[in-house]
Amino acid sequence: MFLMNDENKKRSYKAQKVIDRLGKKLNRQMVGSLAACVHCGMCTDSCHYVLANPGDPTYAPAYKADKIRKIFKRHYDWTGSVLPSWVGAKSVFTDEELEELKDTAFGKCTNCRRCTINCPMGVDFATFNRMTRGLLVHVGIMPEGVEYVSKEQWEIGNQMGVLKEQYLETLEWQEEELQGEVNNPKAKIPIDKMNANIVYTINPREIKHDPRSILDAAKIFYAAKENWTMPSEGWDMTNFGLFSGDDDLGGAVAGRVYEKVEELKGKKLVMSECGHGYRSTRCEGPNWAKKDIKFEAESSVITMLNYIKEGKIHVDKSKNDSSYTFHDSCNNARSCGLTEEPRELLNYVVGDFREMYPNRAENFCCTGGGGAMSMSEYRPRRLQSAIVKAKQLEATGTKYVVTSCHNCVDGLNDVIKHYNLDMKVTQLVNLVSNALVI
Amino acid sequence: MSNLLHFSEHTLQEIALVFMATIYFLRVRWLLKWTAAKERQPATGMGDTNPKKGSRYSLANILMPWVMESTRTKPLMYLQFVLFHLGVVASIGLSFIIPYAPGLLKSTTVQGILQFCIGAAFVVGIMRIIRRVSNVYVRAISSPDDYFSLILLTAWFGFAFYSVPNDASQGEGILLTYFFVTAFFLMYVPFSKISHYLYYPMTRHYLGKTLGRRGVFPLRRSPAYGNK
Ligand code: SF4
Ligand code: SF4
Repeated sequence: MFLMNDENKKRSYKAQKVIDRLGKKLNRQMVGSLAACVHCGMCTDSCHYVLANPGDPTYAPAYKADKIRKIFKRHYDWTGSVLPSWVGAKSVFTDEELEELKDTAFGKCTNCRRCTINCPMGVDFATFNRMTRGLLVHVGIMPEGVEYVSKEQWEIGNQMGVLKEQYLETLEWQEEELQGEVNNPKAKIPIDKMNANIVYTINPREIKHDPRSILDAAKIFYAAKENWTMPSEGWDMTNFGLFSGDDDLGGAVAGRVYEKVEELKGKKLVMSECGHGYRSTRCEGPNWAKKDIKFEAESSVITMLNYIKEGKIHVDKSKNDSSYTFHDSCNNARSCGLTEEPRELLNYVVGDFREMYPNRAENFCCTGGGGAMSMSEYRPRRLQSAIVKAKQLEATGTKYVVTSCHNCVDGLNDVIKHYNLDMKVTQLVNLVSNALVI
Repeated sequence: MSNLLHFSEHTLQEIALVFMATIYFLRVRWLLKWTAAKERQPATGMGDTNPKKGSRYSLANILMPWVMESTRTKPLMYLQFVLFHLGVVASIGLSFIIPYAPGLLKSTTVQGILQFCIGAAFVVGIMRIIRRVSNVYVRAISSPDDYFSLILLTAWFGFAFYSVPNDASQGEGILLTYFFVTAFFLMYVPFSKISHYLYYPMTRHYLGKTLGRRGVFPLRRSPAYGNK
């Protein structure tokens, strides 16, 4: 009964490819995580999907993890080869089974890493869930949105298919706005300036939906008298490779940004507020691109904070006179340790700050993480799981939720709308710019 | 002492231990055959931690139930964890004390400590079996090995508890069963999830190393969060 002989069963081409590629993607960290789970269930309540769907075990982190763990055990762990079903090892044979795996890897997990930090064994499910996504993407099994956005980033160079002319025109428009706001016709948004101290990269969402944040950043650089520039290419610091699990895409996108900074001989790469962009470009990018970066790289949160601390800009917190809470982006908090600087900065620019609980690395996902915003088929599921976030937001009693992530801005706006909360979302760059004393 | 009991206390245990060590050696070799992913990213975070500090924190995590939400909010589960593992140590220790240092068991204090640890672990074992069967989340992730390992350990605690006095005057049945089950346990462990302690240092070290470099470990919590 436990000595299952399934080797003669016919396997689809894609299923075989997934199994073969899994072997190539495994490393010691991954194998440790795959082998170490003791099925204790301690991670269960850490997942917002579980909390929002009580009684449904298919959302439990270990249950989801077992979907790929079974395949690993069957093919790469010899205890699973000896007595497969005794230790829960099981192979994959059909494309339908791969579709089911897709539903779990993309539709039931935002790779938020909250279960990871709550596992006593140190099992990093979020990391191997990303690997699972990558295996599926490699055989063309992925949500339509993931395919679309990945294609845009491969072919056009950014996630939202923004053409170069559109990008440059938007910058030009924001430059005019800047000149009006600071009352100086010489104020500039420099493009491709050589030897700048700062090369500023953004999220394409800023071009498409939120050009105000580019203007706000430009205003801050202007006030600080910074020698800065924006690149004409390689300006998208977001990276869909993080979400799709495609390391090749991740490496190519991050590589484009790094190459442009090097070409411009920039001293420092600064990334606008975006959790996954920061994580991808600052942390994972060098691994994916297999490249050691020689220049400094930091989040604009740190840049703005340093401007204030060094007296390069002056702010008046009374200009932001509402009540504010802060939402930590999963990628910033659980993967990059960016939790204190935003709070320090907030304390400079707002008077009424109220902490959200839980917070920092224990905060809950906005539910739009892991590329979930691009997967419309899972929207109802996502919004249902968002009840956890909605309750967290509501309990703060504030009028604004501040976040350092464009993806979270969209995720939180969805939550606020769906649960009819009396709240608005804003970013630090907007608050700092508003508080500027020029 | 009968020849069979002598055999079970000595030769059988030695064979089982050698077998276990051999499989563990192969297992560790298998684990190390996978190359560790190289990390190129420059450090992030506040600069007050590093990969070494992160790794140390991560490894010591198990001794700090307050640092993880999962253990902080379920103190009873943590207590169960502690008692269960103390019971394992005591039961294993007993299999060495009886053949090699039986004099220790003349002390009623030693007997009392061992029986407390093992008895408490037995009770926790029963609670864990009930949880594994009745908790919908845990049941859904349980494999036959999960059930068998737990039942095996719990039964083993039971036999160990009664073997503590090391008294064969009323018959050797309990001691024989305890030593035969111990031998089976030792040989089964490397193939089962019970061998998780082999992976623990590795998974926690690598996670800590990465999250230390990223400034995430040690985890930060706002002072006000302490009592939440
Ligand atoms: S992932 Fe960790 S916490 Fe979750 S069931 Fe496995 S060992 Fe337990
Ligand atoms: S990574 Fe986040 S969403 Fe995914 S299972 Fe873990 S806690 Fe849930």
